Amino acid sequence: MKHPNEVQLALFAGGDLGFWDRWRVGRHVAQCSTCEGEVQTLRSATAQVRELTAEIPKDLNWERLSDEMTGNIRVGLAAGEAIAGFDRPLVRPLRLGWNAAMVVACATAVFAIAFWTSVPQLQKDHLLSALRRIRTERIGTIPQRPAAGLDDVVIEASSTGLDVKENGRTLSLMHPRSDGVTVSISMKGSAGVRYVDADTGQVTTNKVYYAEQ
Amino acid sequence: MQSSNFVARAFLPMLFIGSSMAGVLPKIDLPKDSPVAVISSDPGDSSETARGGAMLLDLHTALTLRNATQRRIRGITMLVTAQEVTPGGKGSVTVTSLDVGPGETFPVRIDLRLLRPLQAAAGAPVQIGLDGVLFDDLSFYGPDKLSSRRSLTLCEYEARRDRKYFKSLLAQGGEERLRQEILASMTHSADRPTLDVQMVRGGRATNFDPEKEVKFAFLQQPSSPIEPMDGMARIAGNEARAPRLEVRNRSDRAIRYLEMGWILHDHSGHEFLAGSVPAELSLAPGQRTKILDNTTLKFPQKGGVQLAIESMTGFVSSVEYADGSLWIPSRADLTNSQLQRVMAPSDEEQRLVQLYRKKGIKALVAELGKF
Repeated sequence: MKHPNEVQLALFAGGDLGFWDRWRVGRHVAQCSTCEGEVQTLRSATAQVRELTAEIPKDLNWERLSDEMTGNIRVGLAAGEAIAGFDRPLVRPLRLGWNAAMVVACATAVFAIAFWTSVPQLQKDHLLSALRRIRTERIGTIPQRPAAGLDDVVIEASSTGLDVKENGRTLSLMHPRSDGVTVSISMKGSAGVRYVDADTGQVTTNKVYYAEQ
Repeated sequence: MQSSNFVARAFLPMLFIGSSMAGVLPKIDLPKDSPVAVISSDPGDSSETARGGAMLLDLHTALTLRNATQRRIRGITMLVTAQEVTPGGKGSVTVTSLDVGPGETFPVRIDLRLLRPLQAAAGAPVQIGLDGVLFDDLSFYGPDKLSSRRSLTLCEYEARRDRKYFKSLLAQGGEERLRQEILASMTHSADRPTLDVQMVRGGRATNFDPEKEVKFAFLQQPSSPIEPMDGMARIAGNEARAPRLEVRNRSDRAIRYLEMGWILHDHSGHEFLAGSVPAELSLAPGQRTKILDNTTLKFPQKGGVQLAIESMTGFVSSVEYADGSLWIPSRADLTNSQLQRVMAPSDEEQRLVQLYRKKGIKALVAELGKF
């Protein structure tokens, strides 16, 4: 016959075992006088401890104890804050890498501006066209792009006229009323209206363009 | 301060109107060695009036130019700039299908309207210059800032093609056959759909319709040196943008420029020519390339019905070889029913049709006999 160990008997005596273990240990204790004696001893010891702890010391000052605990907590918090200040440096040291990058960037900008302002227009155009050629050879043919800000320019073509509008200002090319007016659009950035002059019989084509042409 | 502004705004227009028109007339600036000379410049009924917080300049200038060379002039392009008004834009007036002999004069009419702020700078608001002149031997003079050499030469190629075609009709079937063809041309012109177009740089759609990518169909053009391989564009309702095309040079000569025509079809089956997609390139024989653009075309609502684009067709409209010679569709290519429906007649065909309208078949036959 296998006896429960001391821990199981202690838990059984205190009523802290689970359902299955309580049933199993209880069944054994009922049949085993040794273990029953052990359980009785544990239960009597528990009762004695309860009686002793139930008595509060006569000179215990609860208010003073509460003040001391509150004071200790505040001291602890203040000390924690003071230590935190030592852990984190107040000023982040400058890193040499960023300084060097800034110097290089500024020098590059100064060089680019000086280069661009001193190079003749013809050379600039040549350089730009060379760069554009490299780009188009890599990804295909792209019609010339307008200068920055030309997105605001709107071209309108109708059988009554042609307009190029920018910031509320308008340049319009008009034509006399005529049969067979032909409107044409080129995605390169131009719109045209062709008509035959009734007086002269001349074929005239008016066009408006974006600035890059 | 506000009251002084008010006074200025109120009285400045009167000062402008009261002043001489000399201050608003265009400045005509031709090079010293120009092949044309200005004989006269008639300002006509040009005027400048206040409109709200702006000035409206109506300019109607009739220039009379003289051919100062020993060659015959076939076409001319005048450059019109108003940098103070629209720094981002400029205009041109081109007269094609000319036949101006040495010492002869010809008119060029420029009608323009400027809307500019009251605080405009003094001086001529409009400058008129020369961009190029094409002669009968296909030689060219001018700064060519607007690619006038190419466009004038294309017109001359088309003029020669069409005159040859009409002369062949005349030789085969006499005046009656020529008359039939001219009447057919007039019918096509009357039936050809036209739409107003607004063009904006940048690839943004401005309407609320969902955008879709639509593939191009291509017309078969066996004589074309360019073979379109693939293409698509973004379509949203009445907007078409960002066409992308892939083409191959199937000729044995290098190509430096091409232009693709772009036909749009709406949901009710109507077709119209939206525009052309040009590309400056360097394309060796057998080589392929991609043509990209990010322009947006918008077709405003007309007659209360908004256009809904459904499909697209592309075709090769012109090619320039590296040696400067050009390819244009033949008259046989133009008999394609889809092209006939949407393509405008050439400048020369339009001029000859107008001549027939005003003076009859005899005058037309006599005109063809000059070339």
